Amino acid sequence: MSVAALSRKPGKRWNLGTILLTLLTVICALVWFFPIYWALLTSIRTDDEAVRAGFSLWPAHPTLGGYLYVIQHSNITRWYLNSTITSVAITVLVVFMAACCGYAISQLRFPGRTLLWWVILASFMVPVQGLIVNHFIIIAKANLLNTYPGIILPMLLSPVTVIVYKQFFDGLPREFREAAVMDGASELQLLFRVFIPMNWGVTTALAIITFIGAWNSFLWPFLATKTEDMMTVTVGITEVQDAFGVAYARVLAGAVMAGLPVALAYLLFQRKVTQAITLSAGIKG
Amino acid sequence: MASVELNSITKAFGAVEVIRGLDLKVEDGSFTALLGPSGCGKSTLLRMIAGLETVSGGTVQIGGTDVTDEVPAKRRVAMVFQNYALYPHLTVAQNICFSLSLAGVSKAGQKEQGDRVAKLLQLEHLMARRPAELSGGQRQRVAIGRALVRDPEVFLFDEPLSNLDALLRVQMRLELAKLHNELKTTMIYVTHDQVEAMTLADKIVVLDKGRISQSGSPLELYNAPANRFVAGFIGSPAMNFVAAEAQEVGGVFTATLAGGSRISLPARSASGKIDLGVRPEHVQLTAPDAPDASLQGRTSVVEQLGNTTYVYIDTSSGQMIAEAGGGVQIAPGTQVGLQFDVERLHVFDSAGIALPARPA
Repeated sequence: MSVAALSRKPGKRWNLGTILLTLLTVICALVWFFPIYWALLTSIRTDDEAVRAGFSLWPAHPTLGGYLYVIQHSNITRWYLNSTITSVAITVLVVFMAACCGYAISQLRFPGRTLLWWVILASFMVPVQGLIVNHFIIIAKANLLNTYPGIILPMLLSPVTVIVYKQFFDGLPREFREAAVMDGASELQLLFRVFIPMNWGVTTALAIITFIGAWNSFLWPFLATKTEDMMTVTVGITEVQDAFGVAYARVLAGAVMAGLPVALAYLLFQRKVTQAITLSAGIKG
Repeated sequence: MASVELNSITKAFGAVEVIRGLDLKVEDGSFTALLGPSGCGKSTLLRMIAGLETVSGGTVQIGGTDVTDEVPAKRRVAMVFQNYALYPHLTVAQNICFSLSLAGVSKAGQKEQGDRVAKLLQLEHLMARRPAELSGGQRQRVAIGRALVRDPEVFLFDEPLSNLDALLRVQMRLELAKLHNELKTTMIYVTHDQVEAMTLADKIVVLDKGRISQSGSPLELYNAPANRFVAGFIGSPAMNFVAAEAQEVGGVFTATLAGGSRISLPARSASGKIDLGVRPEHVQLTAPDAPDASLQGRTSVVEQLGNTTYVYIDTSSGQMIAEAGGGVQIAPGTQVGLQFDVERLHVFDSAGIALPARPA
């Protein structure tokens, strides 16, 4: 090793390439962040200022009027409740069923196992939007439209969660299973007392992205709900738009409030969300 | 405690037959080692006793009861795995008591049993730790503790010491031997390390290609190997083999070695192509021109271990190893003669089967 190399301080070396790359990254981040900033900004402007011509990066008279109006004159607390109920139910059920399914395909040997696996893999090829008419007809025939089960049931399809679990269970040394079998564990005990607790990180990560996905979903809850009291928050804010026309400050205040729990979840569990995205990235291709 | 009987056991994975009609009786309270090279079927055999592997044919009896179709948890056996298989999310105490917890034993009962095992294995101060916070030897002791707490009738060990360093392995070997002396429970121990088998077991079963090559006490296998495979597998350094031609000369059977030297074979009746086997400690180094030297050669490597010296010699019959005293000083490249202890020679026919000594 040369003296120069030895004397070089550890850490990042700044050269033209690194500087350009960093600049590009900062520009991309600003471009990505600007609409969010603009929405936040508009939500604290007055309605007049929001539609006034010109460009300014800070409101002349910041106000929380838009937020207060949404809280006082819309059903947002009910929509929050609906979103919370449906998202939590979807998260719990998706994670539970995906863990069971992934475990069965990974660890059990039964007739049709390979076929089931291929069916799950093939289900990736059908976009959710392609199934939405079928879902609507089935849920309508079952008289579940405008009910919590009606919103929840079609959203329980999550092949990617099954695949992540299957891959995770495949990667565990077989001795863990065998040791538990010797200890007298049943299959359910094996799953819930050994396999899942051995790495809560996977389950936590999957639960967080499932929750975020469920909270943010719009199309199916929009189709499945008919009355305002059953709407989720993402659907409900469209009612704010309908009621107040082009009152952008109020509309965007509603949008910010709708996205707030997800943003908080992301901020609190950043690493887990990234882990979940990494886990599923290889699968989605 | 219970005996284990395997009757005409076969095991095939698809078209590959790994265990071929094997019969074995493991005595009640014994320490039996299943020894063999990789792929000989020893772990498969152990897993069939545990119930982790189905048998393709034959029956498994534990304590006189046929358990061939019984689930592992009901066979009254406990197994210690090669990589310990400790649950990483549980503490040592929870790992040890996991089977009791599954069986619905009360918390107080679990604690009592866990404490008993911890005391026996000197794990008391580690009970609140998780496996990641333990050393290899401690993990191994926890794995044994987990097996012990179930109070099994048979202990099964699947190469339990192979992940430990040499020093720790010797220490754990000693602890296992003490444990067996204390518990007197039937133990079946799979290993490819003949030193472990020799030092721990009171019976060794040598497996080769899914069949029992020989079984017996460690010294029986060492002193009277039934075939060339066992002779070469048991003993470290391995036995020396020399190809020879046997014939009767003047009423005495004699082996002629490749170099033309002759060795009389007392109490043997051999003819045709044979292999002579001689352990390194039964080879004596002499002057190259000594009249009683059976072979001559040049030393290639000298390993001085302090209490003993292994000398590797290149001869016309291949490489030979001789064990000399600890103080012996021989330089590599020295011309030496090799004298065999004729009384301790092993003779194998062309099929590798040991030719028994004739009755005196």
